[in-house]
Amino acid sequence: MAIAKRLPLVSDRPAAKAGLRSERTLWPDRGPGVFEQELESIEDALLITTVEKAVAWAQSNSVWPDTFGLACCAIEMMSIVSSRYDIARFGMERFSSSPRQADLLIVSGRVTHKMAPPLRQVYDQMLEPKWVIAMGACASSGGMFNNYTVLQGVDKIVPVDIHVPGCPPRPEALMEGIVRLHEKIRAGVPPAYEIRGVAE
Amino acid sequence: MTTGVPGVVETIEAHGETTLVVDPARIVEACRHLRDEEGFNELVDLSGVDYLGWGAKGVAGYIGTAQGRDLNATGSQGFQRVPDPMPKRFAVVYHLLRVSESPARLRLKAWLDDGEEIDTVLPVWPAADWYEREAYDMYGIVFRGHPNLVRILMPDEWEGFPLRKDYPLGGEPVRFSGER
Amino acid sequence: MTVVPETRIYEGTRIPSPCPTKLVVDPAEHDLADILTVNFGPNHPSTHGVLRLIVDLDGEHVAGIEAVVGYLHTGFEKNMEAKTYWKGITYPERIDYLSFQSNELVFVLAIEKLLALETPEKAVWMRMCLSELSRIHSHLVWLGTSALELGAISMFWYAFRERDLLLDLFEMVTGVRMHTRYFQVGGLAEDIPEGFYDAARAFSRHMPHAVDDYEGILDRNGIWLRRTKGIGLLSAEDALALGQSGPMARASGIDWDLRRNEPYLAYDQVDFEVPVYPNGDVYDRYKVHMDEMRQSARIVAQCVSRLEELRGAPWIADDRKVVLPPREELHTSMESLIHHFKIVTEGYLVPEGEVYVANESARGECGCYLVSDGGPKPWRVKFRAPSFAALQATATCVRGTAVADLVAVAGSLDPVMGDVDR
Repeated sequence: MAIAKRLPLVSDRPAAKAGLRSERTLWPDRGPGVFEQELESIEDALLITTVEKAVAWAQSNSVWPDTFGLACCAIEMMSIVSSRYDIARFGMERFSSSPRQADLLIVSGRVTHKMAPPLRQVYDQMLEPKWVIAMGACASSGGMFNNYTVLQGVDKIVPVDIHVPGCPPRPEALMEGIVRLHEKIRAGVPPAYEIRGVAE
Repeated sequence: MTTGVPGVVETIEAHGETTLVVDPARIVEACRHLRDEEGFNELVDLSGVDYLGWGAKGVAGYIGTAQGRDLNATGSQGFQRVPDPMPKRFAVVYHLLRVSESPARLRLKAWLDDGEEIDTVLPVWPAADWYEREAYDMYGIVFRGHPNLVRILMPDEWEGFPLRKDYPLGGEPVRFSGER
Repeated sequence: MTVVPETRIYEGTRIPSPCPTKLVVDPAEHDLADILTVNFGPNHPSTHGVLRLIVDLDGEHVAGIEAVVGYLHTGFEKNMEAKTYWKGITYPERIDYLSFQSNELVFVLAIEKLLALETPEKAVWMRMCLSELSRIHSHLVWLGTSALELGAISMFWYAFRERDLLLDLFEMVTGVRMHTRYFQVGGLAEDIPEGFYDAARAFSRHMPHAVDDYEGILDRNGIWLRRTKGIGLLSAEDALALGQSGPMARASGIDWDLRRNEPYLAYDQVDFEVPVYPNGDVYDRYKVHMDEMRQSARIVAQCVSRLEELRGAPWIADDRKVVLPPREELHTSMESLIHHFKIVTEGYLVPEGEVYVANESARGECGCYLVSDGGPKPWRVKFRAPSFAALQATATCVRGTAVADLVAVAGSLDPVMGDVDR
C-alpha cells in the first residue's frame, strides 16, 4: 500500500499572494535555499511566522528518546548521555521508558524475530508524531548477521527516518544522525510513517 | 581420576585435556561418581555437537580437483589425514571443573543418534537446566526427566532445530542498490 | 583461604526444585488469589538489555519468578560455522559486548591451542593489558547502570567519564572504540603505537582515584547500604551447583579466579590480588567489582612497564601458513603473495580436534569449545557464557525479596544479554 503523500505546490499556498515565488526543495546543499530566504523575508515584512515552523522548532528541541537499547549499540547510545557527548544540550537527556511519553525510538542493536513483536508493540504505543532512528548496521540491515534469527533491517517492521551506519556507530555518528533528524523536523519533512511505510 | 568412573567407553588425551566417552545410558551414574568421589563440583558447560557430514566435504586447497582436495595425497599441505568418522550423529559434551586447591578439568562425551534420548544431569548439577534446554532448542536432543524442556533461545512456536547441519543458515540474499 | 569456604551463609540449599530456574509460588505460603503476575518485559528501563522476567507478586514480595531469554539470540555459533577462522574473529566480540576483548581472546586462544602456535611475548603482554582494560570497561558500565537503577543516578556520569578515557586508549591502539578486533591468531593485528604507553600509564594512575570517588559516593551511603546489604543471598554451595564463576562466586566466598588458579597468558608473572567477600549479597558483589577495578589498574601498569621494554619486538608469530605476511613483502615475494591470497580466501587450515579454553572475563569464566575437522572453517564453536550461568541463579537469589530488590539482584548478577542469548 503506497502511503506517499503529495507535497503541496507553491501555487496552492496562500503565501503566493504575499509574493512567494520559489518552491521548497529538499536538501539543495544542506543550507537554506532560495525558498527559505524568500519565506524569511516575507515573514519579516509581515511580522509573522508560520505555526508549523514554530511547532517544528519546539518539537525538534525536545525529542525524547525511548529506551530501546538492545545490544552493543545501546552502550554507545548510553555514552551520548554521558558528559563528553552530552545530549542534554539538545534537550534529549530524558530517556523515557514509557513509549507513551517518547517521541523518538532509537533502535540500537540487532532485532531478532523473537524481539520483533515487542518492538512493533512499543512503536505502536508511541503517540504521533514519532520518529525512528535505526542505529547501527544491525538495525539498518541486519549487519553482519545474515541468518535465520536476525531481522534484516528494522525497517521491515517500523518505518525508519534515519539510518546511522556503524558497528557500533561512534557517539558522534549517532549525534550526527540526531542532528540531521532535527534538521529534517525543522525543514518540515513529515515523519516516516506518513511518507513511506515499511520496506518489503 | 579417570579410573573407576562407571560407563566410560574410551579415554582420550589431547592438547592437555582429558575426554571421557561415556555410555549415554549411564551418564547420570558417571556424573554422580565424578561429583561425589572425584570432587568435580561445577558443571561449566553442556553443549551439543552435530557431526552430520563430518569428513564428507573435501577441503579445497593447493592441490585440488573439482571434487575438492584429497587430504591424503602426498605434498597436499594439509593435515595428516581425513578425519575419522564419528560413531553417531550427535554428541552431548559436558565440561566439568573441580573448584578446589587442586583444580582439574574434564570433558565427558556421550554419543546419540537422531531420536535417541539421554537422561538429564539436573539432579547432579542444577546448572544443567538451561544448558539442556539450549541443546534441545538448537539440536532437538531430548533430555529425559528434565522438568521444563521447552525452547529457550528461539521463539516458542519455532519449527526446526537451528544448529543442526541440515538446517540452513537462513537470512536473505544481499540486494545491491540499482537492482529492483 | 581455602577455595570453598566452610562458613555457611544459610543452611541447606535455596535452589528451587524441581526446576532450578523457576521459582514457583508455594500455595502453603501464599494465597493464590493474592498473586499478581507482572511482566518485566523485554523492553524495560533496567538497562541490562532484553531480559524478560515473569514475576508473581504477593503484595510487594516476589513469590515466583521465571526468566525468559532469547530475545537477542543472534545465531553466532551457526554464523561462525560458515566463516573462516580469520573472518570469524569479528563475531565473538559482539557476544559479550561489554568485555569484548575477553571473548575475542578466548576464541583466538582456542585456535592457537589447536594449531599449537606460540605467540611472541609482546603479544601476550598486550593481550593481557587489553583484557584488563576490557574488565575495567565492563565494570564501569556495570557500575554506572546498576547504580542508576538503584537510584544513584549521578554514578552513571562518573563511570562513563572514565569509560570514555578508556575507550580513547582502545581507539589509539586499534582505531575503534568498541569491538576492536585487535587480536589475531598468532598475536596482534598491528604494532602498538608509541603514545599508548604514556596514556595507559596515566590511566592506570588515574583509575584508583576514580574508584575512590565512586566508593566515596556509595560505600557508606545509607540508602545504598540498605538497598544492597543482605539482599540476593547466594551461598557457596549453591553457587557451585549453579555453575557460577567470577564476581558471583567470589562474592559468595569462593576463592576462585582463573587468572590465578589456572593462569593463562602471563598472569603468573604479574602481581595482583583476588578480592573475595564472604556474604554473598549484592553489596559484596559490588565490593568485588570495585576491588577488581583497582587490581586491574595495577595489572595494566605492570603490563605497560613490560611492554615498554619490548619496544621493537615482533607482535605476531612468524608462521606464514597462518599469519598474513607484511604488506611490503607482497611486492617482492611470490610465496608471500600466494600465502596471503590463500589465507584470505580459503583460510588457514586448523588441525582436527577439539579444545576448550577458558579465561576470566569480567563476568566469570568465559570459555570457547572449538571443534575442528581439519578445514578452514570451524565445525562447532560453543561459547560458554558466564551470564547464562549467572542468570540461572536468579530464582535462587530473589527468594524472599521485595520487588524493588529484584532490580538490585538482577543488576548484581551482571547479565549481558548478548552473552546469554548468543
